[in-house]
Amino acid sequence: MKILIRSSERQFALIKRMLEPTHVGCYQFLVLFLALIFAGNIFAADVAAGFSGANKLYAEGKFADAANDYEKILASGAASPNLLFNYGNAEFKSGNLGKAIAAFRRAELLAPRDSEIRANLAFVRNQVQGATIRESRWQTWVNTLTLNEGALLTVVLFWTTLALLVARQIRPALVPKLKTATRIFAVLTICSASVLGLQAADHFSSATAVVISAEATARSGPFDEAQSAFTVHDGAELSVLDRHGGWIQAANGAGQTGWLPVKQVKILPGA
Amino acid sequence: MSRIRHIFLIVGFLFLAATGLISPRARAATFTASLDRDTITLGDTATLSLTFEGSQPKSLTAPSAPGLDFGSPNKSFSQNIDFNSGQISSTVIISYPVTSQQPGEFTIPALTADVNGQQLSTLPLKLTVLKADAPPAAAIDSGDEIAFMKLSLPDKKVYVGQMLTAQLQVCWRDDAQNFGNFQLTGTPADGFTIDKMAQGQGRRTQIGNRIYTVVPFTVVLTAVKSGTLSIGPFIASATYMVPSSNGQGGDPFFRQFFNQGEQKPVTLATETVTTQSVPLPAENVPANFNGAVGDYQLTATVGPTNLTVGDPVTVRVRISGRGDLGSVTLPDQTALHDFKIFPPTSKVENSDHLGMEDTKTFEEIVTPQNADVHEWPRFSFSFFNPDDGKYHTLAEPAVPLVVKAAAATPMPTLAATQNPVPENQTPQDILPIKENLGTLSQNNLPLVAQPVFLATQALPVLAFLAAFIWRKRTDNLANNPRLRRKIAVEKLIQTGFADLQKYAAQDKSEEFFALLFRLLQEQLGERLDCPATAITENVVEENSILRGVNETTRSDLRELFQLCNQARYAPVRGTSELNSVAAKLEQTLGELQEVKA
Repeated sequence: MKILIRSSERQFALIKRMLEPTHVGCYQFLVLFLALIFAGNIFAADVAAGFSGANKLYAEGKFADAANDYEKILASGAASPNLLFNYGNAEFKSGNLGKAIAAFRRAELLAPRDSEIRANLAFVRNQVQGATIRESRWQTWVNTLTLNEGALLTVVLFWTTLALLVARQIRPALVPKLKTATRIFAVLTICSASVLGLQAADHFSSATAVVISAEATARSGPFDEAQSAFTVHDGAELSVLDRHGGWIQAANGAGQTGWLPVKQVKILPGA
Repeated sequence: MSRIRHIFLIVGFLFLAATGLISPRARAATFTASLDRDTITLGDTATLSLTFEGSQPKSLTAPSAPGLDFGSPNKSFSQNIDFNSGQISSTVIISYPVTSQQPGEFTIPALTADVNGQQLSTLPLKLTVLKADAPPAAAIDSGDEIAFMKLSLPDKKVYVGQMLTAQLQVCWRDDAQNFGNFQLTGTPADGFTIDKMAQGQGRRTQIGNRIYTVVPFTVVLTAVKSGTLSIGPFIASATYMVPSSNGQGGDPFFRQFFNQGEQKPVTLATETVTTQSVPLPAENVPANFNGAVGDYQLTATVGPTNLTVGDPVTVRVRISGRGDLGSVTLPDQTALHDFKIFPPTSKVENSDHLGMEDTKTFEEIVTPQNADVHEWPRFSFSFFNPDDGKYHTLAEPAVPLVVKAAAATPMPTLAATQNPVPENQTPQDILPIKENLGTLSQNNLPLVAQPVFLATQALPVLAFLAAFIWRKRTDNLANNPRLRRKIAVEKLIQTGFADLQKYAAQDKSEEFFALLFRLLQEQLGERLDCPATAITENVVEENSILRGVNETTRSDLRELFQLCNQARYAPVRGTSELNSVAAKLEQTLGELQEVKA
């Protein structure tokens, strides 16, 4: 982590110096351009170094320290399924079921077909006490692809379909030959777009809250004095219904609803 | 009617109570004891009722008698209104079930109770307990017995700890109608424990000259000692209906429907059956034998096998088979110094209704204590099989483990990538962390939320629209020769004007007027929808369409045609004059293009 921070500081200092009015010129812009190109690589190298350091802490059994380092890397804006996976493992080993579930679910969003992520997520979920929501079968099916994968697949099918339609307009002689292909691609486009629509609706409209405190009391209103509605434990996954100030209204797997302080949960997109 | 009568009684009671005509004056209290019957069969239950009339007892000595067992009492309370005397009387009845373990004549001594300060006593009661004997075989075989029971044991050697089944048959004759309320009241067994009893499918059979219904019961037993073991006599009570002796009801057909007849209790008893039990052989006893008698199978799983020091490993041992597994424990594992072993949990599942086919699953968590551990040792389980009279040992081979030191060694490899966890199998522990960072991604918005991405999707749509319009236009042109000609003439005139100006500049009057004449022909031919070669000056006067245009245009046309004719015979003019002719042509053709064809 020290290496990561030191390198980033060097980069920013270099860029800042280049942008000083006295130095700005063609040469400086060229150097700045090259610096920006290489900045990504330097950043990735720093993240990899931090990742290895955190892995080492994990191997030494310092799970809380490892989780802390993984979290810092994530806070820098970098994310990868493996990074989130390791972070989830470290949080689980530290006894934080909720943070582990949140990490595994974020990893699953990036790599939904990764069997190891799914296995660890299922394992941690089994340790959670009390009612919790679970993804329905259609959600599991729809989320087999990431949202971007689904979007790209739909775009490829859409563009192919329209290319075929354009070809038919330009070369009417090709219409009989392209008829079946056009229909197949049109149907595939519609299906893919429908699934993408469901996926997007799921991603943007339904948020999930994972409880990250040992025990949290859901209240009938968004204030501390409100009557207790139900209690949830670390790792319980709740469906977010509404937000108000520092509170969220959430429903648990048993159909009960209540308000929880945002600080006691981690909110994830999608269900 | 009964309901109405009750309502009247309640109303009457309230009325009388209100008018003071009745009062809860206590009559003299009484205390009596009675048995519902004075003779029972061994294993049967009589009921002792202690009745208090007029008041409730303050204290009562619990009944006791040598040779008799008194069960838990049951208390009931009732109130009666005597309308003749206008008094209310209350009755408290305390009932005790009475049983005996031996036949004989017993006396229940007088009981004393404190009622309203008075010491009241009952009279002693006598209860005769008869021995329940199984009916003679001759009576059974002849069909004389209305109901009976038979008990049998398998005729083979029994080992201590072996599970076996006894067969109990309950038989009743066809004329014992509505046979029911069957209840086993005594199931004595010496040297056996009775584990479970299951009823089988009833059947009908002929015994002697009579038809009997036979219901079998399978009784699961476990021999617990060696020597002569006995079971029985099993004693049961039941009831059945016999036709009423006073002949009421007449027709048997109606009796059948209206269930008329007398209910009779019957006590059934079996013989005592014995068998010989032998101890387990003392020879060839496996070292790890811990008392399992039966016939078993063993499976064991260990996982995960690729781990670091201190990581948990789940060892699951599953022993299934025929026999009593309830008391089976895992072999001693104290010698496994390289592992920290947590106390195992166990679960027994019965796979048959008799509970003889068991599966016992042990699950224990162990953690390797150092990196020198290379395997989970061989696991064995020994049992004695009574079918062949021998000891057997089942074993699961050692499971190799890859244990890495926690700090000094590199990170665990991606074992799960090599051995992915199946979807339908619950993992035993979380899979180890990943060594590689993988592909980094920034926390950007999803593509579907990026305006540029969405706007880009308009491109193929626009391309298609353009192609579509182009196709429509092309098709339209192909199907409309006049339009096609019109466009061609427009193009020709456009290029023609340029040529005219060029010829005018070069003062080439001959080429100039030849081209001018051709342009006139093409434009008029297109407007009049006739071949351009057929256009002459006469058409201005003769054609009906041109007759409809204004006179100026027609005059210009005439002039232009005449100029073309004159140019053939006399050389003409200079560049400026040719330019003015070209301008006139442009104006005239423009006016012609306005003419509706």
